[in-house]
Amino acid sequence: MTQNGTVVRLSGVRKTFGAHTAVDDFDLEIEPGTIYGLLGPNGSGKTTTIRMMMGILLPDGGAVELFGGPPDFDRRSRVGYLPEERGVYEKMKVLDQLVFFGEIRGVARSLARSRAEKWLERLGLSEWSSKKVQALSKGMQQKVQFISTVLHDPELLILDEPFSGLDPINQDVLEEIVLEESARGKTILFSTHLMEQAERLCERVCLISRARKVLDDDLKELKRRERSGAVAVEFDGEAPPVAKWPGVSEVEEAGDALHLTLRDEVRPEEILAEVVAAGVSLRRFELLEPRLHEIFVRHAGEPAEDDAPLQTGGAS
Amino acid sequence: MKQIWSVIRREYVERVKTRAFILSTLGMPLLMIGIMAIVGFVAVLSEQSERQIVLVDQSGQLGERVRQALEQAGYEVDLAAAGVDMEDLDQQVLDEELEAYIVLDDTTASEAVFAYRGKEPPGSVRSQLMRAAVVEEIVDLRLGEMEDGDSVRRLFEGGALEYEPVGLDEEEAEEAEAERITGMITGIAGGLILYIMMLAYGAQTLQSVLEEKQSRVVELVISSLRPWQLMLGKIVGVGAVGLTQVAIWIACVALLAGLALPSLIAAASDFEELALFRQYLPGPGAVLLLVVFFLLGYFLYSSLFAAVGAMCRNLQEAGQTQAPLIILIIVPFMLQMMTFQGNTMPWMNWVALFPFFSPIMMYPRAVMGDVPAWMVAASIVLMALTVWGAAWVAGRIYKVGILSQGNRPSPRELLRWIREA
Repeated sequence: MTQNGTVVRLSGVRKTFGAHTAVDDFDLEIEPGTIYGLLGPNGSGKTTTIRMMMGILLPDGGAVELFGGPPDFDRRSRVGYLPEERGVYEKMKVLDQLVFFGEIRGVARSLARSRAEKWLERLGLSEWSSKKVQALSKGMQQKVQFISTVLHDPELLILDEPFSGLDPINQDVLEEIVLEESARGKTILFSTHLMEQAERLCERVCLISRARKVLDDDLKELKRRERSGAVAVEFDGEAPPVAKWPGVSEVEEAGDALHLTLRDEVRPEEILAEVVAAGVSLRRFELLEPRLHEIFVRHAGEPAEDDAPLQTGGAS
Repeated sequence: MKQIWSVIRREYVERVKTRAFILSTLGMPLLMIGIMAIVGFVAVLSEQSERQIVLVDQSGQLGERVRQALEQAGYEVDLAAAGVDMEDLDQQVLDEELEAYIVLDDTTASEAVFAYRGKEPPGSVRSQLMRAAVVEEIVDLRLGEMEDGDSVRRLFEGGALEYEPVGLDEEEAEEAEAERITGMITGIAGGLILYIMMLAYGAQTLQSVLEEKQSRVVELVISSLRPWQLMLGKIVGVGAVGLTQVAIWIACVALLAGLALPSLIAAASDFEELALFRQYLPGPGAVLLLVVFFLLGYFLYSSLFAAVGAMCRNLQEAGQTQAPLIILIIVPFMLQMMTFQGNTMPWMNWVALFPFFSPIMMYPRAVMGDVPAWMVAASIVLMALTVWGAAWVAGRIYKVGILSQGNRPSPRELLRWIREA
């Protein structure tokens, strides 16, 4: 595996469809070995971005690079691409279809067959291997298509909404496979609108909203930086009058705990000092990590007046 | 190259396995044989059910002879006594005791006109058989009375045009005639096969392209294959299916010629002409030429059909867009129908040089020997050049079209696709 240098690089990429701008001034860099999440609501431009990476759409402006060069035929063949729209030969049998896709990606027929059989086994589809694809449920078709994505053992997996349409059990199986492939050194980019999945899997995330990049950062770093300044406190016995403390702007009850939102420029230590000064016995004092979902809503979810991007730095 | 092979195999195997292919391949000859057999069988069957007939002879001289002739034709004839009451017979017919009866009178004796009295008109087999039996008897009778009866009889047989070849001996002349007939049969059959193949399999190429585009499978395939490789694989795969079908049909004909024919000839020795059938089978040269014209014609049209498939979003759109191609195939076929009876319009040979018309128009001319060899060669070269050009244009349209989900391109946009692809 030759994964030196940036695997995917987009710089200033723009794509319009008539009057509609699908992707605007988009920068992205994916380093080898990362699990990268492309997040955003429906219609935000995730799929268009991915289709440009795969050379299916040509950008109207900017440059797309795969493995350090244009997304030409040879480079694309090093990618395993799972499109959002499930394209399958409905009338072909499952195994035949997988062997065909393996073959056109340069895997020898017999090897493609044995690999396909292994994958079908793993995803619980063995008994369906000689059924026509159209006889399968949507979820099963999606698994078949996922197999065809990885059958040629590509260096980079680009998965467009891989989890949508799968039941929780299969989502778990797929997550497990994604982590495994990552452990084997593969670079993985996937798009999703499911923040929990992204939170569990991604090392880096990029948030897109309304055709523009909103955030692009290491997930841990992002969470650290995006800490809202909220703390959770829990007391033994009577709680002090937290709402009256000058540093606290808001109090919210959350079970036994109280979530305190701090005023700007107030550090958590100052609140801790207040607690100590109040002389109550403290059971828990914790900095609240923001959920990815909240971060996303904070940056993109509100119905903003216009499309002013909140460029929060990042590696690009 | 290996990938193209995979595409060809997929296209071929998946198509040959379909019920539509099996039905159309086996069904067509079976259907034709079946229809002919049923039509013949029903006619004979209905004739066999009622074979009793009453014969009334008012002429007084024909009765016995006609009775014998009809009996030879397989009827049970009841010759009514002279002076039978025809009203009685009519009543019997009305009461359905008798299906019909035949009346011979003086007009029959002079003009071979006779009456068939029944509630229903005779079926076609019956009227043929009866007319033949009666008329032949009366002609015989009348000619026998005449002094120069034999020469009149020959006149009746229609005379003959005897071709006397100048500069050829008889044997050579016969060969030339056989060759001409062979050329005609081969030309008509070959032209028909080319017409069907280009139309049917061109349309299948279109469908195959459109299916992949609509299901977006093409986006996956195209990340592993270059567009032209996919297009070529498709065209070759679909074409191979077409060749398989024609090969099966030809095998059926050969089987018929090799097995069924000799027994047919043995059974019906008066069909001597059937024995000649085998000598009219085309030689290897004509078959080879057919393959050449098929390959060129099929590639020409199917690449354009593929481009149409890539341009459109659904079958309805494709139906409209392919119309010019269909017309390009149908027009030469119609022209060919007009001219294959005889080459009375030599300027048509020049029309046949038009590459889009050549498969259907030039091939029959070539095997019938209507055009000089240089014209055939020129037509092949012209077609090859056109195939090259069409493939180039189609490949470019295909490359852009299969990944475009937008509206069907206007002619101006199409030109841009071709230029910029």
